[in-house]
Amino acid sequence: MVTQNLPKNPPQRHPVRFGVGISARQQGPVPGDRQARCYTRIGMADTTVRKRTLAPWMGMLLTVLGALSNGLPFTGFPAAPVPSISLLVSLIGIVLVLIGLWRAFGQSTAYKGKLTSAVAAVFSLLFLAGAIVFFWSARHIPPESAAAPQVGQQVPDFALPDSTGHPVSLAQLFSDSVLNRPPKAVLLIFYRGYW
Amino acid sequence: MPVAISVDAQEVSENLRHKRGYTFPFLSDPKAEVIRRFELLHPRGGPDGTDIARPAEFLIDRSGTVRWENFTEDIRVRPRADELLAAARSIR
Repeated sequence: MVTQNLPKNPPQRHPVRFGVGISARQQGPVPGDRQARCYTRIGMADTTVRKRTLAPWMGMLLTVLGALSNGLPFTGFPAAPVPSISLLVSLIGIVLVLIGLWRAFGQSTAYKGKLTSAVAAVFSLLFLAGAIVFFWSARHIPPESAAAPQVGQQVPDFALPDSTGHPVSLAQLFSDSVLNRPPKAVLLIFYRGYW
Repeated sequence: MPVAISVDAQEVSENLRHKRGYTFPFLSDPKAEVIRRFELLHPRGGPDGTDIARPAEFLIDRSGTVRWENFTEDIRVRPRADELLAAARSIR
C-alpha cells in the first residue's frame, strides 16, 4: 500500500509546500487555510494583497484606556479595584500588540504594517509602564473599611499606652483626668504612622 | 479633645509630639489590636509591608457614639477642619 501510494500522489501529502504550483491552482485554495491561500496568491501572480492588522492599534488603545482608567475614582467609581482593572486592561492591550507584532513581522507575507505595529508597541509599552507605576503606588490607597464604626454607632472601648507609657482608655479620655473639665467629645485620629 | 492613634512606638510618637508641639495624647498600638477592632487595618500599607492603620477620624460623644467620621480614599486628602468643627459644635 505505502509503496504504491508514495510515487503516485506526492502533492497531496504536502499540499501547501509542493502543491501550490500544480494542484492548488487546479483545486483552488483550501478553505480556512490562510497559508495555503497566501502561497496560492504568490504562486499565481504577483498580485500580493497583504492584509492590515488592527491588533497593534486595538492593543495600544487598550493600554491608553488602562492608563486613563486610573482617573475613574474621580468620577465616583470605587477606588479599590481600579489599579487592578487598569493593569489588567493594559496587559490585555500588550497581548494584542504582541499578536500584531507577530503578524507584521512573523507573517509578513500575509500582513503588512511593520512600522505601524512597532510604533504602536513603543507607545503601548509607555502606557503599560504608566499603569504599572499607578498599580505600584496604589498600595497607598487605603481599604474600604466598610465594617468600621458608622455615625450613630457605639465604638468599642479600648486602652492603649500613650507616648509616655501611661495606659489611656476611652472612658478615661472622657473623665477630667487630662483637661480640667471633662470634654464633650473626643476626636479619635487614626493615622498611618511612620513619622 | 483630639487623640491620635497609630502603630508607631511610644518613643516615635513622643518625638513627633515634641517636634510639632502637639499637646494632646498619642496612643501606641504597635500590634494594631485596637486598629483591628475598629476595622481600620490597612494590611501591608506601611513601608516594608507592615500592617498599619488607614487614616480615619471619629468624633465620639460622651455616650461613645460616633457623631462624625471621615475616611479618606486618598491618603493625601485629609478632613476639612470646618466640617469637623461644625460637627463638634452640634454636640452639647
